[in-house]
Amino acid sequence: MTVSASRSAAPYFDISDPAFSVQSEQVRAARDASWYAETNYGLAILRYEEVNRLMKDRRLRQGSAAWPAHNGVTEGPFADWFASWILNKEGDDHKRLRRLLNPAFSPKLLASLVPRFQELANELIDAFHDTGHCDFVAQFGEPYAARVIAIMLGIPEEEWPRIAGLSTTIGLSLGVTIKDDLPEIETALAGLYEYGDELIESRRREPRDDFMTRLVQAERDDDKLSHQELRDTLALLVFGGYDTTRNQLGLAMQAFVRNPDQWRLLAERPELGKAAVEEVMRVNPTVTWVTREALEDFTFQDIDIEAGTTIHLFSESAGTDPRVMAGGFDITAERPPHFGFGGGAHHCLGHFVARSDMSEALPLLARRLLEPRIDGDATWLPLSGNTGPTRLPLSFQQGTKR
Amino acid sequence: MKVSVDRSVCQNHGQCAIAAPEVFDIADDGELVYEPEPSDEFEADVEDAADVCPVQAILVGSAG
Repeated sequence: MTVSASRSAAPYFDISDPAFSVQSEQVRAARDASWYAETNYGLAILRYEEVNRLMKDRRLRQGSAAWPAHNGVTEGPFADWFASWILNKEGDDHKRLRRLLNPAFSPKLLASLVPRFQELANELIDAFHDTGHCDFVAQFGEPYAARVIAIMLGIPEEEWPRIAGLSTTIGLSLGVTIKDDLPEIETALAGLYEYGDELIESRRREPRDDFMTRLVQAERDDDKLSHQELRDTLALLVFGGYDTTRNQLGLAMQAFVRNPDQWRLLAERPELGKAAVEEVMRVNPTVTWVTREALEDFTFQDIDIEAGTTIHLFSESAGTDPRVMAGGFDITAERPPHFGFGGGAHHCLGHFVARSDMSEALPLLARRLLEPRIDGDATWLPLSGNTGPTRLPLSFQQGTKR
Repeated sequence: MKVSVDRSVCQNHGQCAIAAPEVFDIADDGELVYEPEPSDEFEADVEDAADVCPVQAILVGSAG
C-alpha cells in the first residue's frame, strides 16, 4: 500500500525525546495545521473530532499489549500478568471480563462510601492544616489515593504505605527501564497477589456487603471469574487506581493554583466538585495519550492507515481543541466530554470511583486551603505517557477548621 | 419493559452493548441502536447496562 501523498507533509514529533511535551507550543501549532502528526512511534491524533471517532473505532484495538515484549520481557510472572489485563484483551475475552467486573463498579455502590471519602480527606488535611504548608503529593495525594483503595477492597487503611510502595514499584514497568527493573517489579507483583489471595479467601469464607465480595461472587450466564482471574484483576485494580488518582489530584492542584478565582468559587459552591474534576481532566489529564493499534488497513479522512500502525490519541490536545471548546478554565461551563478516561469498549472501568473520590476531596481542600501557591521546588514526571507531580510543595492560608 | 437512551448525552462508548447485547448494539457507522421494548427476560442485563453507562444516558422503565 502506498502512503498517501499528504502524509509526508504532516507535522512530526519525536515523542521519545525526554523534552517532548504534549502541552507544548509545538503540539498547539501542529494542531492548528493538521488533525494528526507523524511521530517516531506511529501517528498522533490532535483534534477533538478525530480523537472522538478513533477512540471508539472498532478497526482499532487497545495499543499497549505488546509493550513488555517490545522491551524484551516475553515470559515470567509480569509478562503473564500484563497479558491478563482486561485492558489488553479484545473481542469476546474482553466482553466476558467486562460483564463480570462491571457490576462491582456500579455507581450505586459508591454513594455509601462518600462520607468515608470526606472523612479521609478531612483527616489528611487536619495533619498539616495549622502549618500553612504541605507537600501535597506526600501528605495528601499519595495517602488519599492509597487509602481509597484500602476502603474499596476492605484492607486496613494503616497499610496504605505498602499499597503505595507496591504500586509505585510496579509503575516502573511502564518505563523504558522495565527489563532492568524486572526483579523488583515481580517481587512487588507477588506482594499484590498476596493481598489478593487473602481477600478472596476471606470473602469466600465470610461474604460482606462490599466491593470485594461482589467481585468474588460475580457471575454471568453461569460463568464466574477463576481464582487466577480474580487475583490478576485485583493486582490491576490496585495499580490502576493508585498512580492515576495520586497524579490526577496533584494535577488538579496545579490547575487551580493557576486559576485562583476558580478555587474560591469551588470553596463557595462545593456542588461544583464533580464539574471541577471534569474540567481538570480536560485541561490537565494524567493520561496524556491513549494508545490504539490498527487491526486492518483502512482509510480515515484523507489518509491511509496500515494494519499494525500505532495511534496515540492526545487527550489534552483534543480536550483543549478550540474547534469545540471555548478557551480558559471554567468549572461552571457546559462542555463536551473530555477523554481523560479514554473511551469506547476500554473506557476506564474505575471512573465512577475516581470521579466520586476526587469530587469529594477537591471542595474540602478548597474550603480549607485558601489561596494555595506552589512554594518551593516541585518535581514532575515527563509530560508524556502518564504524568503528574512527584513533589508539590504548597503554601496556603488557613480556611475552615473542618 | 421499556428502555430509552438520551441521545443528547450518549457518546456511543458501547458499554451497554457489552452488558446487554440482545438489547443494545453499536452499528457499523459507530452509532448506538437499541430495542426500546425488550422482553422482560433481559431485565437484569438492561439494568446492568444502565448502571454501567459512563454517561448515565439510559433510562429503564416498566411497560404499561
